[in-house]
Amino acid sequence: MEPTAPLPETTVSLSRLLPGRCGVVISVEAGDAEIEQLKAMGVCEGREVMLVQAGDPLILRVMGTRIGVSARLAASVRVDACAGDTFGTRPGPAGGA
Amino acid sequence: MTPAQPIRRHPAAEPEVVVALVGNPNAGKTTLFNALTGLRAKTANFPGTTVERRVGFSRLGPRRAKLIDLPGLYSISSETPEERIARDALTGRLPGLPRPDAVILLLDATHLERNLYLASQVLELGLPTVVALNMVDLAERAAIDIDVERLSAELGCPVVPLAARSGRGVEELRRRLEALAGRPWQPAPAASPPSHDCEGCPFKARFDWAEEVGGRCTVSRPAVTGERTARIDRVLTHPSIGVAAFLAVVFVVFGLIFWVAEWPMGWIEQGFAWAGGQLGRWLPEGEVKSLLVEGVVGGVGGVLVFLPQIAILFFFLSLLEDTGYLARAAFVMDRLMRRVGLPGKAFVPMISAHACAIPAIMSTRVIEDRRDRLVTILVLPLFSCSARIPVYTMLTALLFPHRPVAAAAVFTGAYALGIAAALGMAFAFKRTLLPGETRPLVLELPGYKLPGLRTSLLAAWDRARVFVRRAGTVILGASIVLWALASFPRTDPPQEAVALRERASALALVGDAEGADAAAARAESLARQHALGRSFAGRLGRFVEPAIRPLGYDWQIGVGILSSFAAREVIVSTLAVVYGVGETDDPQPLTETLRAARRSDGTPVFTAATSLSLLVFYVLAMQCLSTQAITRRETNGWRWPLFQLGYMTALAYVAALLVYQTARWLV
Repeated sequence: MEPTAPLPETTVSLSRLLPGRCGVVISVEAGDAEIEQLKAMGVCEGREVMLVQAGDPLILRVMGTRIGVSARLAASVRVDACAGDTFGTRPGPAGGA
Repeated sequence: MTPAQPIRRHPAAEPEVVVALVGNPNAGKTTLFNALTGLRAKTANFPGTTVERRVGFSRLGPRRAKLIDLPGLYSISSETPEERIARDALTGRLPGLPRPDAVILLLDATHLERNLYLASQVLELGLPTVVALNMVDLAERAAIDIDVERLSAELGCPVVPLAARSGRGVEELRRRLEALAGRPWQPAPAASPPSHDCEGCPFKARFDWAEEVGGRCTVSRPAVTGERTARIDRVLTHPSIGVAAFLAVVFVVFGLIFWVAEWPMGWIEQGFAWAGGQLGRWLPEGEVKSLLVEGVVGGVGGVLVFLPQIAILFFFLSLLEDTGYLARAAFVMDRLMRRVGLPGKAFVPMISAHACAIPAIMSTRVIEDRRDRLVTILVLPLFSCSARIPVYTMLTALLFPHRPVAAAAVFTGAYALGIAAALGMAFAFKRTLLPGETRPLVLELPGYKLPGLRTSLLAAWDRARVFVRRAGTVILGASIVLWALASFPRTDPPQEAVALRERASALALVGDAEGADAAAARAESLARQHALGRSFAGRLGRFVEPAIRPLGYDWQIGVGILSSFAAREVIVSTLAVVYGVGETDDPQPLTETLRAARRSDGTPVFTAATSLSLLVFYVLAMQCLSTQAITRRETNGWRWPLFQLGYMTALAYVAALLVYQTARWLV
């Protein structure tokens, strides 16, 4: 696989998705125990996640289940647009589309 | 519903089979466990840990199976205590627990792919495994069609579709297990999901596999699922409506607890009063009678009276958990609780603590982070439990007789003080003693469903049993010690009592039965008062008097406080004895007697300042040996229960001092 140049502009943090939009997880940055749990529940590289309800904590839909996640944790997950979907994100202080 | 099969001990024809039950949280593990074992389950900790395990027995044809319920898990690879223990239990590395002969792998048919992630890890262990595909009824209703044979072929092990709640498929599972256990096991090659072929993320390969297998085995599924859950969640997880809804639920549950529990509590009280009366009638006068009637029946009865509240609380908690609502409660409370440095999951134990701190401390196990859990345990006894109600009732009656509104305000104030103190102390502990970020929320919000009555009844039964066991051991011991302190050394009755007794017999001789009874009762009361004053407890009361005088208490209250370090409500009966109330059952004479009590200088003992100070002391002080014993069990040592005792006593002392000294100048 060809090494891809870092293109943060095409990815956004999960906490900044618009409700109802879906994203494909590109990376999960933090590395603590709770990240392990998040990954074991399906928020890991390559999975599609949908933001159901914004806020803190927020609600995600992943692999058919709804999970409540604190916004701080969701901010460490970067996602790319799902196939056939263009990004809808909320304006944020840094990064994003 | 399939009835649970009662197990008779077989004459050891076949060796016992050990079966481990493993599955995701919310996959219906407890329901399946109950369906397989019924009432014969025991809840205990894994040795040396505070991770709970349930062990039960089930019949597999001619053999007896020991079923071990492992904690609900999403994976078995991380280093959390639950996952490490589940891993060790499955691989036979836990001391005293053999490697299981078979595994029941529980999968939720409505969330097959997510559940297959854990399945891939469990199947890799190579143990004889049966997959219990649970909630097929809900899957059918949601129009999810799963090809069971295909799934069985993909996983390389038998798959039994079942609905644990209605009992459908449970017998088939039993048959499959019987066929499996103890036989040589050849895991099919298909059962090996990819394990090492991923460079970056070890999760990705498993999830890819889970999605592929899940996709191949799902014949059809609707495009959208969980619309009803989404609709309900729009209300119940709303930042403000959700909190209001939660408070409403708490209010209703508490109303029900106090309302429904009233009857059984009355029966228990009457039962113990009857037992005490019978013993008193049949036993000869002496130490044994005194020990049994006052120490054992009185002491244990005073605590067992809270059993209905505890059972009902756990019944409702289990019911709420089963519907999926409890996860929403933790979700909406998370943001508010975070301000004091605790996770939203700490809120459910905090509600339970208003009934009793013991079940509340036991239910802190839902909190994953050790520091968060410890802080929660430390502050839980500050919430006003129901053992304080008799004390609050007595003191508000002293403060505001015949003024129900003012009395209600004081009552509410006592509860509010407990809540404020608990949250304040949690905030302080998280910043000083146990610093660290609150673990961020990661919580599955399972689909709403109707609760199973059987699961909730069993949960109530289980917790009630734990409580009764405590009452039969720790509380019984404490009651006996207290009885001894209050009864020894024996002293001769005072002159006045002897004279009264003689007068009683004289009156009886002339036929004045009423006068004789009154004189005898008065003599008895005087003798008890005298004996208690000279007992070890009385001496201790006098010993601590200088320390508690600044709080507005005399030595009699000191005896009451000391005696209630075993259990708070004991102060009511102790005060009745030290101030010499003949009839302790009727509250009116007690408050009248207390109000009439005078110090040596002739001023009343129970002034408004003293009563308020005593109320504050009882809101904040750690006076419950049973809670201490539970804290010890849950923290694996005496360090934290002792700290809990120390900080709460200091807090109570300082607060009562401030209240007394302020109120004295104001009133």
